[in-house]
Amino acid sequence: MSKERASASAGRVGSGEQVAGSPVATDERTITLELFRYHPETDAEPRFQSYEVPYNEDWVVLDAINWIKDHVDGTVTHRWSCRMGVCGSCGMMVNGEPVLTCAAFLKSYFPFAVRVEPLVNFPVERDLVVSMDGFMDKLEAVKPYMIRDDVNDTSGGEFRQSPAELAKYKQFSMCINCMLCYAACPVVGHEEGFLGPAALALGHRYNKDSRDHGRSERMDVMLSDEAMWGCTFVGECSVVCPKHVDPAGAIQQAKAMGAQEYFKAFVMPKGAGA
Amino acid sequence: MSSSGSDGRRGGRRARHSGEAFWWALFSAGGVMAALFVPAFVVVTGVLLPAGDPAVAAARAEAFGQAVGWWPVKIALLGVIVLSLFHCAHRIRHTLMDFGLRRYSGLLKVPCYGGALAASLWAALVLRGNTGLV
Repeated sequence: MSKERASASAGRVGSGEQVAGSPVATDERTITLELFRYHPETDAEPRFQSYEVPYNEDWVVLDAINWIKDHVDGTVTHRWSCRMGVCGSCGMMVNGEPVLTCAAFLKSYFPFAVRVEPLVNFPVERDLVVSMDGFMDKLEAVKPYMIRDDVNDTSGGEFRQSPAELAKYKQFSMCINCMLCYAACPVVGHEEGFLGPAALALGHRYNKDSRDHGRSERMDVMLSDEAMWGCTFVGECSVVCPKHVDPAGAIQQAKAMGAQEYFKAFVMPKGAGA
Repeated sequence: MSSSGSDGRRGGRRARHSGEAFWWALFSAGGVMAALFVPAFVVVTGVLLPAGDPAVAAARAEAFGQAVGWWPVKIALLGVIVLSLFHCAHRIRHTLMDFGLRRYSGLLKVPCYGGALAASLWAALVLRGNTGLV
């Protein structure tokens, strides 16, 4: 892979040079960012391009990428939105680790260079942007929404739930679909049919919801072949999750639920899985 | 492109109950058994029983062998051994799949689970005799 060093201007940026919405540099020091570049219409293959960026210990990697885009190279393409760890848009590989770039501070890497790449296990659309199509298909497959015949019937008021019932699934509902767990999971890269950590955790979240009646529909998908059983409990999904969801735990619980249904099907062939 | 992995397209619904549920249940139960009991067995039979004066150790081993000769203990031991073996078999199969043999996942069941079954039968034969574990 060719590696091109671009001579990008560095140094202090005064307030007069600030681009609206762009972070302001306040330090004389610089840090090197090596960005993965790939424009499918012109590039035969991906390459890395280096930029010298003003170092500010309050900056996160996303600030540095935004600074590059605003001051040096407007062709850099990346996905971001909230800058506060809520939207899940800015997940990238930083020095080989899947992280939200809005939560990865430059001071964790300074003075060494920071290499930023798109999330692995996903097709790259352009530069740091990956295609989410496959992930969305998997997410849709597990029906991550409330299923019940009277879901639109509000005549009886809210569908009430006790704190204990809420506690059974609450942590799994914290997922922001940032896809870091897919980049961290080795099985996602090997097994096409594996639904992956976030989709399985969200499917399990609704299966555990006392108000939901759609467990059987979801289990049709989750119990098939390698959709869930491909997980070998590596556990990296839970390690990298920025919202402290435990997808690995959700998958193990869902497997136990599936195994119960499997054996129940022998005892009660017509009544299992309801 | 350097990116790899799945395009995520799902090929429609498949059979509701994959046989993987059965093998995973054995794997899971075996994991619990292996974690709870196998280390204790290793310490007892490998360290505590043969420790100290050889004559005392021999008497101790004989008493242990008699205890193991009691049929409820044999059944419990067989349960721990069989489940632990299937735990190993399942892990080995999935490790081989991760090493690039995923397309042979069905075929791998034969040596992996077949091996566990053969070892289980051997354990049953050993326990069936009155020689205990030795």
